[in-house]
Amino acid sequence: MAMEKPVGNACTRLAEILCFLAAAMEYPQRSWLTPAYWAALEGLLHEIGSISAEAMFPSYPASPEQFEGLQVEYTRLFINAVPHVIAPPYGSVYLDGDGMLYGASAERAKAFYRQENFELRGSHDIPDYLGNELRFVALLLEQGREAAAELFLRQCFRPWFGSFYQRVSRESRHPYYVVLVSLIDFFTEEEEDHGS
Amino acid sequence: MAVKMTRRRFLQSTGCAAAVLPFANLVQADDSFVKYPYVSPGSMAGTQTVTGGICEMCFWRCQVIGKVRDGKLVKLEGNPKSIDNGKSLCARGNAGIKLLYDPDRLKYPLKNIGKRGAPKWKRISWDEALDECATRLKATIDKYGPQGITIFPHGSSAVYPMHFFEHVVGTPNNSEASFFQCRGARDLAYLATLGVPAGEEVDMPNAKVIFLLGSHLGENVHVSHLKRYLKGLENGAKLIVVDPRFSAAAAKADVWVKIKPGTDTAFLLAIMNYLAENEKYNVEYVDDNGDGFDDFCEGIAHASLSWAAKICDVPEAQIKQVADMLSADMPHVAIHPGRHTSWYGNDFQRERAMACLTGMLGAIGSVGGFVRPIGPKLGRFSWPTPMKEHAEEYSLRRLAKVHKFSPPGTPTDLIRNAALTGQPYPIKAMVTWGQNPIQTVPNQAQTIAMLEQMDFVLVCDVMPTDITMYADILLPEVSYLERYDYIKRGTQWDFAEEHQQYIAARMPLVAPETKDHERKDSVWITNELAKRMGYGEHIKAKSAEEMVDIMLAGAKPTLSLKQLRAEDGIHLQEGEDPYDVELDVVFYSEALEEAGYPPVPTYTEVPQPPAGYARLVYGRLPVHTFNRTQNNVWLHQESTLNPVWLNEQSAKKMGLKDGDMVELVNDQGVKSRTATVVKVTPGIRSDTVYMAHGYGSMNPALTVGVGAGVDDQSLISNPSIDPETGTHGMRNNFVRFIKDGKELSIPA
Ligand code: SF4
Repeated sequence: MAMEKPVGNACTRLAEILCFLAAAMEYPQRSWLTPAYWAALEGLLHEIGSISAEAMFPSYPASPEQFEGLQVEYTRLFINAVPHVIAPPYGSVYLDGDGMLYGASAERAKAFYRQENFELRGSHDIPDYLGNELRFVALLLEQGREAAAELFLRQCFRPWFGSFYQRVSRESRHPYYVVLVSLIDFFTEEEEDHGS
Repeated sequence: MAVKMTRRRFLQSTGCAAAVLPFANLVQADDSFVKYPYVSPGSMAGTQTVTGGICEMCFWRCQVIGKVRDGKLVKLEGNPKSIDNGKSLCARGNAGIKLLYDPDRLKYPLKNIGKRGAPKWKRISWDEALDECATRLKATIDKYGPQGITIFPHGSSAVYPMHFFEHVVGTPNNSEASFFQCRGARDLAYLATLGVPAGEEVDMPNAKVIFLLGSHLGENVHVSHLKRYLKGLENGAKLIVVDPRFSAAAAKADVWVKIKPGTDTAFLLAIMNYLAENEKYNVEYVDDNGDGFDDFCEGIAHASLSWAAKICDVPEAQIKQVADMLSADMPHVAIHPGRHTSWYGNDFQRERAMACLTGMLGAIGSVGGFVRPIGPKLGRFSWPTPMKEHAEEYSLRRLAKVHKFSPPGTPTDLIRNAALTGQPYPIKAMVTWGQNPIQTVPNQAQTIAMLEQMDFVLVCDVMPTDITMYADILLPEVSYLERYDYIKRGTQWDFAEEHQQYIAARMPLVAPETKDHERKDSVWITNELAKRMGYGEHIKAKSAEEMVDIMLAGAKPTLSLKQLRAEDGIHLQEGEDPYDVELDVVFYSEALEEAGYPPVPTYTEVPQPPAGYARLVYGRLPVHTFNRTQNNVWLHQESTLNPVWLNEQSAKKMGLKDGDMVELVNDQGVKSRTATVVKVTPGIRSDTVYMAHGYGSMNPALTVGVGAGVDDQSLISNPSIDPETGTHGMRNNFVRFIKDGKELSIPA
């Protein structure tokens, strides 16, 4: 039976993983999406023991065509498609009624950041962008503010992430992104055995 | 994903190999967040007012201010300093925020690695995108000459690239379709008659009679335009509306002339002939300023009231009534030249007749008449014209010896035909900037065939419209709320008020920079292209800001952006009296005669609906700027469908009632892709049906507009070309309905 590690270490691990997943949700470039990165993702899946996700996980897109395929799919899902991008990675698109960026959920996220003494560097950056929210949780965890991290996930992130997750799972033509959002889901979902 | 392990267990498990994987080493350091000093709740910065905005939800360019709260634009309002729109904005102007924060906006340069029409886009850097555009445009020039490139621009941000391609690169193949199709025939007809383009600045507030022929003000909303109209009505102007439909304007009219579509010129000729025969025109003005009036009178002598009454299907007495009303109050008569004026392919002649009628009444420079407001002076800014002669030499209009009174640019048809046939020369690269020719130019199949034969297609836009699907390289532009841009200038909207002039340059209300996109403005993009194509030496302004400052420096007294900003976005100065200006009126035009066109306004019959069909006419709704706004949820909610208006007697005979869903099919067998509701009304002729344009988008992924209403454009398969100008008349298409799979004839 595995020995429990101190909470601090678990927090740091989770922070690292969330940063790692936030980066994985950026536009695929060879500069960072290396075979080592890919292997780390695969290792993560293996350790979690998700057989179906592991089975789905494709091999590293080594050829230029394969890599381009990943970029094309990223663009279609998250950047632009005619006439609608499939799954914009911004909270308020899913939450605040009329599908806009920078809606009320963005304001809530911004207020939360400030309450925890953080602020986005770019004054016009969109607060409830997926990557920003994940990195913010990681920042809190790095500082050991686990309760605040949990609260942010519950109040700000999870309310929209479920719809985003479903949309990506349903619409993605590349399993890589299905697996990625599943991993984000796994690492951000509220746990019933909280504190056990 | 079936997950067996919980997160907590996973993280706490030292047996977990992943726990020792070096995730941190794989991720680049991120600096999205900075420390934020604690600020107690309630002490946050309040809402800031940012001035200097200019609306572009339509092209009226109302002056706006933005309420910005903590980096976010929360509300748009009219600039209280404006002497044009004032504090008012229309519904579309308000909905600009929806465009600003639309998740569908283009974000990065994209390259299509799939097919045109079925794109597969990947994100590329600006350098890659610009290098590729420049290389491929240069290759076209090297192989086919500059005329091998065509540009389809639209909107103020497209002016800079349009002039670059026309003047510096040297292609005459500029299809500024919106201006061309909307106002081109009108402005050219007024130029040929009064020596000035028509504009819309008739003095309605102070008119005794307002005459609208096909204009449906109120459905067509421009804030200061409407103020003029409503003030005129408030001041007691009589209103004459000529329209086959009981439009919003007709509902306010003293006289509604329910004219048979396509016959307006006959109606105008009869009025003018009656005025001439009975000496009820402004003899003094015509004697002083008229050119060829006797020949003109001779040329229209056939146009008796009874002749027109038969053609127009209007009582003779009503034509006389209108003529007498105009005459009784001349010269204080506002004859509105109209806006979207390409209807039937006989439009130049109709607009000529409008200008002649204005001249006959002496309603030029008069209180309540056709007035040319005197706006403030500005410095000029444009690209040099090293290739002017080359462009003229290769003008398709000149080579084909057609459309000698065409608006600037080249008729879309000539460009499309040349591209499709390779004659008189091939056109192999296309640059589309803010225009969506798939939805704006009739005959989609031919437009698509033109696109398919191109060697290279570059599209620059704000939103992913239909045309973007055909781009090889797609460039993202900043929106009108985030950029510097050309200057709006004018005078107070009511010419009778204190004479004032205003200058307002478009300035950003919010900064365009954020981490999640790389949009650029058209001056930057064009300059970068110009440098890479080897035209860098011709660049006169390094940025949009500099361009605007050059123009402002030429104002008298000289201005700058800095000063404009200090003046809350609008500079006001003393104006000049616009009245008492006289213009010569060319009643009989030798220039037209020499070019082979009728020298006197002439009525040409238009095709008539076959039995069982009605003519399809289209118009607009106050909450939409055609397909530009069809994806705007806020506006869509205001009017989700475009009902098709049907005469109540016809409906009865057809067994249709208000609210029934129907599809439409035209006389060439083209069916609408979708259905819409019937609006049964006595307020339309039985030979005509009507709907608002800009509905029924075809793309299934278009969650807002898809299948909502019917796309009238898809039913316009038979455009008529106006001989003088080359503009498309789009109302010679005939439809009937389909209900429950059965085609229903429309009784005449
Ligand atoms: S009329 Fe409306 S949409 Fe047009 S510029 Fe003015 S506010 Fe904007």
